[in-house]
Amino acid sequence: MKKHIWSKVYFFLVLAILYLPIFYLIYFSFSSGSNMDHFKGFTWRHYQTLFNDGRLLAILLETIMLALLSSLIATILGTLGAIAIENVKKSGVKRLLLSLNNVLMVSPDVIIGASFLILFTTLGFSLGFASVLLSHIAFSVPIVVLMVLPKLREMDNSLIDAARDLGASYYQVFSQVLLPALTPGIVSGMFMALTYSLDDFAVTFFVTGNGFTTLSVEIYSRARQGIDLEVNALSTIIFLFVLLLVGIYYLISNQQGKKGSKLGGLLR
Amino acid sequence: MEIIKLDHITKEYDDGFVALKDINISIESGKFYSLLGPSGSGKTTILRIIAGFTEPSAGKLYFAGKDITGLDASKRHINTVFQNYALFPHLNVYENVAFGLKLKHRPDSEIRQKVKDALKTVRLDGYANREISELSGGQQQRVAIARAIINEPKVLLLDESLSALDKRLRKEMQFELRAIQKKLGITFIFVTHDQEEALAMSDEIFVLNDGTIQQSGSPVDIYDEPVNDFVARFIGDSNILSGKMIRDFEVEFAGKQFECADAGITPGEKVEVVLRPEDLDITATDPKLTMTVQSQLFLGDHFEIKAVDESGFEWLIHSTNGVKIGQEIGIFFDPEDIHVMRLGETEEEFDARLETYEGEDKE
Repeated sequence: MKKHIWSKVYFFLVLAILYLPIFYLIYFSFSSGSNMDHFKGFTWRHYQTLFNDGRLLAILLETIMLALLSSLIATILGTLGAIAIENVKKSGVKRLLLSLNNVLMVSPDVIIGASFLILFTTLGFSLGFASVLLSHIAFSVPIVVLMVLPKLREMDNSLIDAARDLGASYYQVFSQVLLPALTPGIVSGMFMALTYSLDDFAVTFFVTGNGFTTLSVEIYSRARQGIDLEVNALSTIIFLFVLLLVGIYYLISNQQGKKGSKLGGLLR
Repeated sequence: MEIIKLDHITKEYDDGFVALKDINISIESGKFYSLLGPSGSGKTTILRIIAGFTEPSAGKLYFAGKDITGLDASKRHINTVFQNYALFPHLNVYENVAFGLKLKHRPDSEIRQKVKDALKTVRLDGYANREISELSGGQQQRVAIARAIINEPKVLLLDESLSALDKRLRKEMQFELRAIQKKLGITFIFVTHDQEEALAMSDEIFVLNDGTIQQSGSPVDIYDEPVNDFVARFIGDSNILSGKMIRDFEVEFAGKQFECADAGITPGEKVEVVLRPEDLDITATDPKLTMTVQSQLFLGDHFEIKAVDESGFEWLIHSTNGVKIGQEIGIFFDPEDIHVMRLGETEEEFDARLETYEGEDKE
């Protein structure tokens, strides 16, 4: 019984340590002071500045746009890539392709970012939204491949035979059997790609030009001139937004869970 | 009427493994066939070639007289019930059964009626809205059958379809499969490694081993007159002794000479003799052989007795009455119970030989 209590204490301690910095940040977003040394009276002022800061809001929207677009394209490319890798007959070639995919996953962002910078400048490609989008797609594809592959392996191959047997064309096999079976992997792959894109700093830092910037790069450059509590306010809003998203996702997967497991995968 | 014909079908895989060697099979419409063999015998490969999932390396496949060797699986009038059922997990029972018709964009009213009929055929009325995960193994099996018959195929292929069920359910499904086949009047080709299943359901059985057909015929033919010791051992229990042909209708084994029903074999030729354990009767008077009981198992409906004769051969006997271990027993069997096999005789040679002396009898 005693052991039971200690394990709970430990659990809450870990959670507290994980969430403390975020709550600290949120706490000071309501402070009327200009720094995080002392809390000086409650205020909404930082939120007002934030909503009047057109540049930051525009960057927030652009970052979300970028994340949605890059994760969508990466999901399509990654899913098709996973199917292609799984269909490779020779095991040596298959292992090589998988290794190439995994190398991209483990290599440091700085190297990827630098290599993209070199590539784009060599090709004479102008840095901006397009270059950031391309590099985000590039580092998201391997994640999607890794999330979809297990579902592909799990899938019973006789399902495909069964669909062919009942008269399905190759396209119908893909859309009516393969895609539904892969959906959990595709959804979690897309969520992962979305979060990777949203919080990427290193790669983006290399390939953003003058005209375009993302939230992480913007906050970094602002923080160099001393933390403004406006950033705290922004972080608070993003945190609440993410909390809401996770809640919705949990509800959806809970409902699906009763009916089988159509979605799910990320939170279970 | 011949509906499917395999003409010199051979299948060799890329790694050099030969799964099928020169298979010739003729399948008639409206009958229940079984492909029976141990795992690795090539029975599933034959099924996959007929269904169109595997292409033969050589040979031709005919469907109602037309060459369909290269025809895509989706365009054949043949449907399959898979070993693990292969039901689509993201669809419910109705959607699974309707899958084939929905692909063809049939009107909803027609689909609804046909699905209802198909579910009725497999006795699953009222299950249309269930999820697949809610069904038992036997029910999933029925859904798989309903899904396969919805396109009204001429031939239904069943790949080890009962092997995942428990024994009682398997027996029940055997009767039902046979009933469904009779009702639909279409050809069933059933792949199995379970000889009891094949004997119970089939009009005709093909026994396979090592990629060749060992014997084909009605269940009774195959059981009573196995062409070689593989078939004799694989189908049912048997006592296989080496012996010598004395003359027509007389054979020597276990150190004695017996009257038998086989002929057309050179006198003095070495042969193998098959005696089924249930044909051996334990008798006190006038025994043909005497032996000592070694062990006995009670199997519910009969005793399985092992006994050793004077020559040291261990006999298997099925008896409704028990005996005592160590007891000396006498054995009686009729001349017709003895089946003599020539070594290395093929099915055609066997049939030809049978013709020669059975023909004489009839005249």
